[in-house]
Amino acid sequence: MSDDVILEFDHIDKYFGDTHVLKKISLDVTDGDVCVVVGPSGSGKSTLLRCANRLEEIQAGEIRLDGQSISDPDGDINRLRQRIGMVFQSFNLFPHKTALENVTLAPRKVRGIDADTARQRGEELLEDVGLLEQATSYPNQLSGGQQQRVAIARALAMDPKVMLFDEVTSALDPELVGEVLGVMRELADDGMTMMVVTHEMGFAREVGDRVVLMDEGRIVESGAPESFFGDPNTERGEQFLSKIL
Amino acid sequence: MADSYSSASPEANAVADGFLDDRTLKYLGVAVSSFFALGVVLLVLYILSSQVQFGLVPTILPQFISAYGLVLSIVGISSVLSVSSGIFVGLARVSKTRITSGISAAYVQFFRGTPLLFQIFVIYFGVPTLWPGTFPVQNWGFPTAIIALTLNHAAYVGEAVRGGIGAVPDGQMEAARSLGMGYVQAMREIVIPQAWRNALAAVGNDQIILVKDTSLLTVIAIPELIQQFRDVNSATFDPWTPLVLVAIAYLSITIPMGRLVTYLEDRADWGGETNE
Repeated sequence: MSDDVILEFDHIDKYFGDTHVLKKISLDVTDGDVCVVVGPSGSGKSTLLRCANRLEEIQAGEIRLDGQSISDPDGDINRLRQRIGMVFQSFNLFPHKTALENVTLAPRKVRGIDADTARQRGEELLEDVGLLEQATSYPNQLSGGQQQRVAIARALAMDPKVMLFDEVTSALDPELVGEVLGVMRELADDGMTMMVVTHEMGFAREVGDRVVLMDEGRIVESGAPESFFGDPNTERGEQFLSKIL
Repeated sequence: MADSYSSASPEANAVADGFLDDRTLKYLGVAVSSFFALGVVLLVLYILSSQVQFGLVPTILPQFISAYGLVLSIVGISSVLSVSSGIFVGLARVSKTRITSGISAAYVQFFRGTPLLFQIFVIYFGVPTLWPGTFPVQNWGFPTAIIALTLNHAAYVGEAVRGGIGAVPDGQMEAARSLGMGYVQAMREIVIPQAWRNALAAVGNDQIILVKDTSLLTVIAIPELIQQFRDVNSATFDPWTPLVLVAIAYLSITIPMGRLVTYLEDRADWGGETNE
């Protein structure tokens, strides 16, 4: 393990009832890297991501952020989660709050930052994702792409060390996918550490520093995007690519 | 038009379309409801003109006004108590702690599963005999009213709140928790405001029923509105004058309450899901 590994999955096992969904998975995400996880439905990639901020409990192994255990049941998960931003497939914006309130709520209520500072920072973030003009809109007045960009700003408002993206463009109309991927690309360019579960192979190839292929609860192939998409090492990798490309 | 929705033969559909198309149904609906509305209006006018003795009104009005004030105060107190404790019943119902959800489920089963009248009797007649020695409360009727209505309606409000919480998508809790909020904080900031919006109609409905439930208190001689009817009717043998006053009194509480619920629902509109 090198010093600049920030998120570390160490031989984790996860079961849903009797179903073994993650099998002894180990994966290191390096600081500043974009790690893209791909794979067929049911391969466990979303579950892996959700384990990373303990929305799912693991049954064996350990997940560490900056050396601190996330999976330790005695750990302060609320404190750790503040350093891990998460963006969901279904946006999950708070419908009773405006776009700006969605972004400022956690900094105010969790961090205790005063309302003015939080609003200022919130407006900066909304500007970054191109939605300052929609600050006072409610989520159901926004398009899917706009909602997802607010959700990204909301996660960034806690100044996380790592951002998790769980199929964030899968629920969007095709013409809205680009604006969300654009924001993610900028974020990657700014050096954010990102773990991205996606079906967008173009994004994986262009933005990813590393591509991980999962199948049936295992990591079957992992490497730089050029080698992954150019010349996969495994038969399973070739098979997967032949289906999607 | 309706072809894809029905398995009946095309001919049958054509006939049905001709006879029961949207416009026919609309006119039929208007005709039927107008007929009934007219009937009700005529009946009311007939009662007001021939049955109600307006001369009696000034004599009996004071006792109706004081009964009205009493009902308002019973409703006010038990409304506040039943809604606020009902929220906790609802929260307890969705608790992951078995004992908490179990106790609240049993509570709801009992108070929803037995008649309010029975509960009033238990509290009014039953409870004082359990007291060792003389029961210390002199006028047990009013406290009985508050306790019975609160316990009974907290169960219904609890179920409404439970349903409201259940209708909030799991992703809301997950999003709140992933931002570092604790369970209680996420409930308070994110889930409950949405659950409340979801539960408003059912809670409002229940609170309107609470108003009407005060009529049962006549059985323990609380001087509420029905009690006034019985007094006046037995003294004058005139049913309609006090009945009309009773109707006016109840409706003057329940109609504004219905409006209030609609107003609260509109206010929690969050950017026009319903009116855009």
